[in-house]
Amino acid sequence: MKIVRFIIGVAFFGAYINTTQAQSDTAPSLPPSGQLCISCHGAQGQGMEPLGPRLAGLSTEYLVKQISDFQAGHRLNATMQPMAMVLQGESVSQVAAYFSAQTVPVVTAELRGQHVTFTDTAARLAYQGDWARELPACVTCHGPSGLGGGLFPRLAGQQASYIKTQLQAWQAGTRKGDVDGMMASVANKLTIAEIDALANYFANLK
Amino acid sequence: MKSSAIVLLAAMGSLTVQAQAETEPVQERPDKQAPLPSSPKMSDQTYLTPRSLSAIPEGAFGDKVRLGYQLFVNTQQLRDKYVGNELNCVNCHMDAGRKANASPLWGAYFAYPAYRKKDDKVSSFEERIQGCFNYSMNGKAPASGSPELVALSAYAYWLGMGGLMDEANISGPVPEISDAELVKGAKRDDFPVPEALAKAMTVEQRANLPGRGYPEIPKPEQAYSPERGKAVYVAHCQTCHGVDGQGQAIAGVYALPPLWGPQSYNWGAGMHRVNTAAFFIHENMPFGKSMQLTNQQAWDVAAYINSHERPQDPRNKGDVKQAQDKYHNDSDYYGVTVDGKVLGTDSYPVFPKKS
Ligand code: HEC
Ligand code: HEC
Ligand code: HEC
Ligand code: HEC
Repeated sequence: MKIVRFIIGVAFFGAYINTTQAQSDTAPSLPPSGQLCISCHGAQGQGMEPLGPRLAGLSTEYLVKQISDFQAGHRLNATMQPMAMVLQGESVSQVAAYFSAQTVPVVTAELRGQHVTFTDTAARLAYQGDWARELPACVTCHGPSGLGGGLFPRLAGQQASYIKTQLQAWQAGTRKGDVDGMMASVANKLTIAEIDALANYFANLK
Repeated sequence: MKSSAIVLLAAMGSLTVQAQAETEPVQERPDKQAPLPSSPKMSDQTYLTPRSLSAIPEGAFGDKVRLGYQLFVNTQQLRDKYVGNELNCVNCHMDAGRKANASPLWGAYFAYPAYRKKDDKVSSFEERIQGCFNYSMNGKAPASGSPELVALSAYAYWLGMGGLMDEANISGPVPEISDAELVKGAKRDDFPVPEALAKAMTVEQRANLPGRGYPEIPKPEQAYSPERGKAVYVAHCQTCHGVDGQGQAIAGVYALPPLWGPQSYNWGAGMHRVNTAAFFIHENMPFGKSMQLTNQQAWDVAAYINSHERPQDPRNKGDVKQAQDKYHNDSDYYGVTVDGKVLGTDSYPVFPKKS
């Protein structure tokens, strides 16, 4: 009994060493615990609307935090919460590293200040905010063109339906976990028309 | 013997700082960095509202205004030419210099030229902007009358004049004035304003618009402390400004700006003073204001970020003590011993080229 466990342990350990070696040479390969994810998020984490959002291009740091937010109940979602529960220990960061390393289409960054005026209201909100309502520009935190980095997720090219449900989740109080509610306070100031417009704007950035 | 002297010095350093928190900042400086007059924020105060940027007119004058906006928001286009760090003017003057209580440009424009007793000199609007290039941007200011200073002045003028005209119910476009007039600023009897505006407000009233500068907050109950400030920083600032205060670049742009170190403002900038930073932070941070810091937290965290090394004070002629006596000792940490090191002795270069 003990010996069997030991052998399984060695086998697993060996597999682990193999994957980490592979990682140092090339992009990480899909860890076993990630097999479950690809049915909704796609084999390269490219997302499968409406089953699951794109994970590719989000930082490891951000993905790890979101998985633990689902586990802790800061993010309430009947589909994804049980999936997050499956991941334990090392597998969280392995899966996160895998999806984070997948490529996303290149989007040319438009810098803040490049345009002075905007005809599109969503673009104006994204680049200049509306400070009369204490609403800061999205790109200040999410970076130029919402390209994202670190704990600030990439919005450029994310599914419009997903962006919309997230902004509504903050309004409904079913998504939390952002430090000091910094994203909640932004989402809470948006009208439903603005949410639609912003979701389409970021989803279609090329 | 030597090490105990250092410990003693370090202890004295923190004592000195506590004492400084109680004294008034030194008002006069042989430079352009005198602290702004600051008054407490009043409830139900209304502020000047600049016109929408889409109202900027077509044509040569409008082009200067638009360029001013673009330089203010993306000052990095002047990196290595006039800018020596990763900051943009908009980082400290929120909403592209339009937000009340974030030292708005419209509040500043009508307050210059400002008379300064010490050097018996009148400083113009463009000279004030040059100060921010030399210190806040750790750079080398564009020359007087340069297209950049004209553009920034035109933008400030257009914001302020449009807002004042709207308040006085004067319709029509903002009057176009010459470059030479633009860079001087509007606090003078010979500054051209529409007649109805001259009747509605005196030059002095225009120079003291509510919302100018950063609002003063009361002195902290306990002397400010970088140690307590660190805890505030970890809880409410580091997600954005980083564990090491170096901000975060996305696509090469520091949307989340560095607070200390080689890429931040230098030891001559207004923001290096604990009081100025505390006023700014209490009103404007954490960015987006999803929560409000207490007065004590604002002072403590201001002390924390400003007790780290940053680029040298450009006025230092080779001796920290001398520069400290001449330009500092006013609620700041220049020349003060922190963690066994005298701040200012190991500072980063002034106006380095981007590597
Ligand atoms: C049955 C479909 C399904 C499966 C399987 C699934 N997910 Fe999800 N996932 C979702 C949905 C739906 C959401 C959006 C949840 C919401 O709206 O809050 C989501 C959201 C996420 C997010 C948040 C993305 C963001 O941008 O914040 C992460 C991270 C994530 N999933 C990781 C995983 C991982 C890792 C696995 C495999 C262990 C997995 N998912 C398996 C459906 C699925
Ligand atoms: C003050 C900084 C800040 C501003 C301004 C901001 N965001 Fe966010 N946003 C965040 C942070 C931080 C998160 C990640 C929250 C978390 O960890 O759950 C986030 C997450 C999001 C998400 C979820 C993405 C995902 O993959 O799950 C969306 C959608 C979003 N923001 C949209 C916007 C839009 C649209 C705007 C402008 C109206 C905006 N944000 C402005 C900080 C900000
Ligand atoms: C690191 C923060 C910071 C940056 C970056 C910065 N400033 Fe300032 N600015 C300040 C502070 C602080 C003051 C007030 C000075 C004081 O009280 O000592 C100020 C004052 C001013 C004033 C005078 C305001 C008044 O009401 O008299 C003008 C004009 C100005 N800045 C323009 C600029 C321009 C133009 C840039 C970019 C080239 C810039 N600033 C960049 C912090 C900054
Ligand atoms: C949500 C992210 C966020 C948080 C949290 C935050 N800041 Fe900032 N901070 C910013 C952004 C973004 C700017 C620049 C604003 C702009 O460019 O529009 C800024 C500007 C500043 C500046 C002036 C620019 C510079 O680099 O010196 C200081 C000082 C500052 N913050 C201090 C703080 C302190 C202290 C805290 C914690 C109490 C804090 N911030 C919390 C995002 C944040």
